[in-house]
Amino acid sequence: MLSFLNIVIVGLLLGGIYGLVSMGLNLIFGVIRIVNFSQGELVMLGMYGAYLSWFFLGLDPYLSSIIVVPLLFLLGVVLQRFILQPLQNEPFMQIFATFGLLMFFQNLVLAITGGTGYSVRSAASSAVITMGEINVSLPRLIVLIAVIVVALGLNWFVTHTMPGKAVRAVTQDRRSARLMGINVELAFMLTFGAGAALAGLAGVMLAPIYTLSPQIGGNFILAAFAVVVLGGLGSVWGAFFGGFIIGLVEAFAGYYFDPALKHAIWFLIFIIVLIVRPGGLFGIAGAEEMGLREQD
Amino acid sequence: MNNTLTRRTLMGAAVTASIFAAGAVSAQETFKVGAINPYSGPLALYGNEVTRGYELAADAINENGGVLGKTVEIVKGNATNPQEGISAVEQLATRDNVDVLIGTYLSSVAGAASETALNYNKLYWDTNALASVLTERGLPNFVRSGPYSVSFAQVSVDLILDSLAGKLGKAPSDLKVWIEHEESVYGSSIAEYQKEQLEEAGVHVLGVGAHSYKSIDLTDSVLRAKDAEPDIWLQTGYVPDSNLLLRTAENQRFDPPVKVFVGTGDTNETLEALGEEGVEGLLVVSYPRPDVSEEFGPGSNAYLEAYRAKFDQDPVAPQSMAAFVGMKIMAETVNKAGSADPAAVAEALPKMEKPEGTYETGFGVDFNDNKQNVRAHPTVIQWQGGNQVTVFPDVAAQGSQMLGIGN
Repeated sequence: MLSFLNIVIVGLLLGGIYGLVSMGLNLIFGVIRIVNFSQGELVMLGMYGAYLSWFFLGLDPYLSSIIVVPLLFLLGVVLQRFILQPLQNEPFMQIFATFGLLMFFQNLVLAITGGTGYSVRSAASSAVITMGEINVSLPRLIVLIAVIVVALGLNWFVTHTMPGKAVRAVTQDRRSARLMGINVELAFMLTFGAGAALAGLAGVMLAPIYTLSPQIGGNFILAAFAVVVLGGLGSVWGAFFGGFIIGLVEAFAGYYFDPALKHAIWFLIFIIVLIVRPGGLFGIAGAEEMGLREQD
Repeated sequence: MNNTLTRRTLMGAAVTASIFAAGAVSAQETFKVGAINPYSGPLALYGNEVTRGYELAADAINENGGVLGKTVEIVKGNATNPQEGISAVEQLATRDNVDVLIGTYLSSVAGAASETALNYNKLYWDTNALASVLTERGLPNFVRSGPYSVSFAQVSVDLILDSLAGKLGKAPSDLKVWIEHEESVYGSSIAEYQKEQLEEAGVHVLGVGAHSYKSIDLTDSVLRAKDAEPDIWLQTGYVPDSNLLLRTAENQRFDPPVKVFVGTGDTNETLEALGEEGVEGLLVVSYPRPDVSEEFGPGSNAYLEAYRAKFDQDPVAPQSMAAFVGMKIMAETVNKAGSADPAAVAEALPKMEKPEGTYETGFGVDFNDNKQNVRAHPTVIQWQGGNQVTVFPDVAAQGSQMLGIGN
């Protein structure tokens, strides 16, 4: 029973990691309808941002979010304005462009670091909360808290604020939103910026857990795509609960079956959900096709 | 007028001739060695480190008269994957006209590059690739002077049977071991060999766990090992998964009496990730380091001094000393053969026999039928107070003791 409870906690903590990485990806996908292949690299940049803040300024990695998150937001705005917006009417080219960004960021960091694996340690790095047989690592608990706060914050933003409502309007129908006087391009820029900022936040929160490498973003992104599609495209709660579902499945499959099989098992569940509910568990039916609908 | 022209023509001819002659002399005087390694990409750090070993060896060889009376010159060929390995060899063989090829940090690159080298009838001398299949192919131009995956697996087994069992006060039949490995052919082949050898010696192998080195979470792997309550936790992997396993074990309060890592875990990348306390006591089977005793590896101290003098820092990883020794053995073999032709070198290999403890790394020379040096073995370090201290085999340890194990 104890080990069962332990695995539930391991799964929830892992789900927090998946959820946090998926939030930004889902936001960009849901609103702008771009599959951002470089999202993992934005997470990676966030991690290196935490490392640089620690190295040069002596900042604890968690504190470095006050620098890294705004910088990633700006980077996101710039990427949307100067790279993706000019390709607005060519969705395929946008996908290729994000793939190009993936290669660019990865190789840039490679060239600078020479491939050395860096680590950034926080005062909380080795802290563990022990309750009997159950051990909860503090850095992972912080990630879990972060994803809950982000999900609640995002949900409040899109339901209770005018800019949030504008984003929802753009998501539902670009043309009508434009007719209502909403600046669609501005909404896209802010959304991509917010998506990049969320990736930066994820990077900062994950930096104390992993050994940094230029390719590390790729390790997260496959799972993040599965989370987003499983949970429901464009749905805040989809990414949130999707993360936990994948995390729990992975923890249980890894512990009770075989760690080598865990990815096969969650991909199987992912495919079954796609067949039964193509819109994802929390998605709106037909939402996955909206990107294909002719827009302005 | 005619006179002048003649003089000019003559002078021109003389200059041209002297240039050609100089070219011919310099070509004659240089023995070019093409060094195939990753010099860009995520493994550049290690590729450069291996090639630093070759550069130091070239200095030492040139001081002693060079190879076949010529000065050794290193020409780098960048290869981060097999495809690049093929093009690098093609370039080095045709454009640079190298005499031999040497490498390789990556086994997959060594495989493709050595086959391409065979097309140009060039010797491919390997000092650092680990995959056992490389020599098992029986390629006529492929020689390996350094240890390979089986040597690493064997030393980890020797460590457990000859040293750790005694320290833990247990007979091999009472010893419980959990084997963990990354799931590619590298980790799996070592784990398979370890399991077979340990079970043959009567050791109780509680389980074998596989994981991807790209895993985001390894708590399941750690908990499975923890539940089995092993005396020894034996892991083979790369840097990211090794670091994540150690960190997760720390978080899950999994502290087996002995942790033995094979191949990685002995560099600053692990020290930085875990901190001094996090790595304390960890044993790592790896390439011999310059701190081995002079009795085990004569000249190892001088090697360290030469490295510091040339590169102004301590070795980044221990691979460079194996590369250094490997290149020296190559030079001696080519000198013995009187030619760098693969067939002549293959013929000279059996005459090269030397006892263990001949070189800085403790290597001797004894090439088997597959041209694998079977007198090249890794050693074992233990992290002690933030330093890597060679502790096994005893003759290499300079009297250094394993700390915190058993009594």
